[in-house]
Amino acid sequence: MRALALFVLGLGVLLPAATPGQQAGPPGSQRPHPDLSRPAPRGPDGRISFTGTPSEVGNWEGPAGATMIFNKGRPFQEVSLPTNLTVDQVPFQPWAREQYLKRQANLTADDPHTRCKPSGGPRFWHTPYGIEVLDLPETKEIIFVGVGAPHSWRIVYLDGRAHPKDLKPSWYGHSIGHWEGDTLVIDTVGFNERFWFTREGVPHTSKAHLIEHISRPNFYQLKYEATIDDPGAYTKTWSGGWYLRWSPGNEPFDYLCQENNRDPARMIGPQGEH
Amino acid sequence: MPIRKTSHVILSILAVLLAIAAVPTEAHHSFAAEFDSNKPMTVTGVVTRIEWTNPHAYIFVDVTDKDGKVENWGFEMGPPHMLQRAGWKKNSLTIGEQVTVEGWMARNRSQYANARKVTRLSTGEVLGAASSGGQTLTGATTPGVQ
Amino acid sequence: MVRFDRAPDEKGYWSLPSASSLIEEGVSVKMDARGRLANLADASRVAPFQPWALALYQYRQKNDFADDPMHACVGPGSPRAMLTPGGIRIIQDRNYKRVYILYGGGNHGWRVIFLDGRKPPDPEEVVGTFYGNAVGHWEGDTLVVESIGFNTRFWFSNGGLPHTEALHLTERFSRPSHDVLRYEVTIDDPRTYTRPWKSAWTLRWVPGDVPEYYCETGRP
Repeated sequence: MRALALFVLGLGVLLPAATPGQQAGPPGSQRPHPDLSRPAPRGPDGRISFTGTPSEVGNWEGPAGATMIFNKGRPFQEVSLPTNLTVDQVPFQPWAREQYLKRQANLTADDPHTRCKPSGGPRFWHTPYGIEVLDLPETKEIIFVGVGAPHSWRIVYLDGRAHPKDLKPSWYGHSIGHWEGDTLVIDTVGFNERFWFTREGVPHTSKAHLIEHISRPNFYQLKYEATIDDPGAYTKTWSGGWYLRWSPGNEPFDYLCQENNRDPARMIGPQGEH
Repeated sequence: MPIRKTSHVILSILAVLLAIAAVPTEAHHSFAAEFDSNKPMTVTGVVTRIEWTNPHAYIFVDVTDKDGKVENWGFEMGPPHMLQRAGWKKNSLTIGEQVTVEGWMARNRSQYANARKVTRLSTGEVLGAASSGGQTLTGATTPGVQ
Repeated sequence: MVRFDRAPDEKGYWSLPSASSLIEEGVSVKMDARGRLANLADASRVAPFQPWALALYQYRQKNDFADDPMHACVGPGSPRAMLTPGGIRIIQDRNYKRVYILYGGGNHGWRVIFLDGRKPPDPEEVVGTFYGNAVGHWEGDTLVVESIGFNTRFWFSNGGLPHTEALHLTERFSRPSHDVLRYEVTIDDPRTYTRPWKSAWTLRWVPGDVPEYYCETGRP
């Protein structure tokens, strides 16, 4: 009886920490609030690590609800960067604004990512089920491996090369990078237009020049900021981003989006009532 | 309550907490475009089919209404790996067994829903569905992923 | 410790497989790059089939691979991915004791092999995948990988070789010289084949970076 009472007491302590709506990680996660004062790990040479340790396995969870544009009233805004612009502040060209609003109105039902299309740019950083970072300083590359959706990998060259002149547009573009202190800066061009730049439907064109800043302010967060320089869609350069959260214990696993993808036929957007 | 039964209750509750706490809330698609978070539902029926596939596992359940009419309902769950992390095994459910499934209705008027929780009636075991709709300890719906 | 990937400051990746289809070692049959036999009568020589498996293989061959799941970009799985042009990188992650194999062809996907001594799951209980659950260890300079837990929704080779969920693959990766990767695979699926059988081929180190390619079905 006493054991039961003690247990119920313990449960009372646990439950409030996990109730959605409070600051207990993103809503729906039910994880206790991580200690954001815990520093990011470093390698033996002092180099910042974007991964875990052999005794502390995990990877990054691309927060599906995170947005590059601040969207009041929508969930997951607390993982978005406080510097994100509102819709009215984003320097859209008129066609791009219309496209963004249309994608939003349809509740992002038409996202190519849902049809298993590889999606580069900031969209990659929404990939569900785990993102691994393979930092390969000896060969001057960083490879990002994503579990969900296209189950693919993206490579950033840190060997000082320039972008090739005759790039064929691709899903992930051509990425070159360098470190600025503990921040990884990635410069990408050469995107095709067959995917959405972010999950919320931020438009882009093949003229897009994307700069990404990735840093790890503490053990549990990866800060992602995208700067879009796309004269085909925007009148000025603008930035936005979000925090990815550490997913403790998560390991990469086999996954194939094309296996039994029934969702596209059922994603009808806001119309339809049962 | 005898000590042994108390422990059993505690362990069962812990198992439920672990199962639900381990699941993520993300998916490869917009939840809101496909399912209606304002339309929670619960059905009880007999498992007719299980698809252990990505991007989502599916279970299909024959539900008999009060008039004796049988309808087959399909439920979308998370990917198999996530379900297995939450304690499922390939043989956790058998064809022909009775289950209660709670979730949110599909928007397209089909007999289809996103599962939040599956309860096996033979054992009382609760299996979280690693749903993109999110799950809570208190049972409230948290369809957070837009 | 052998290094399967680039040396410091090196470029390059593995490509140009010396075989284009999976055939039992020591058997010589005429076959095109898609795995289509020139002479259907050679079918029973390709691998030690159980009777049902031979019949299915012959059907797939006669049907010109109309049912190949890779038409819908489902697959390719191993060892098929090691026979596909497009490029491969083998990354030894010492932090976590894992090896990643990154593929340029197929779905530009990847698989992970765990080298931390874990036991593989029970294939009766684990949901089968395309690359299976892979655990590895070193035997000298050879990486030995054991994989179980496969589904049957893909073809593990081009040409239509069948398999069941009982499939157990043993793969051996070695690098006898800088430019050569040797790959040997043993197929053990007693429901499909009358005995374990193996095949081996090589890939060559080529300069440059793995090109971007993604399987597309033509559906939006």
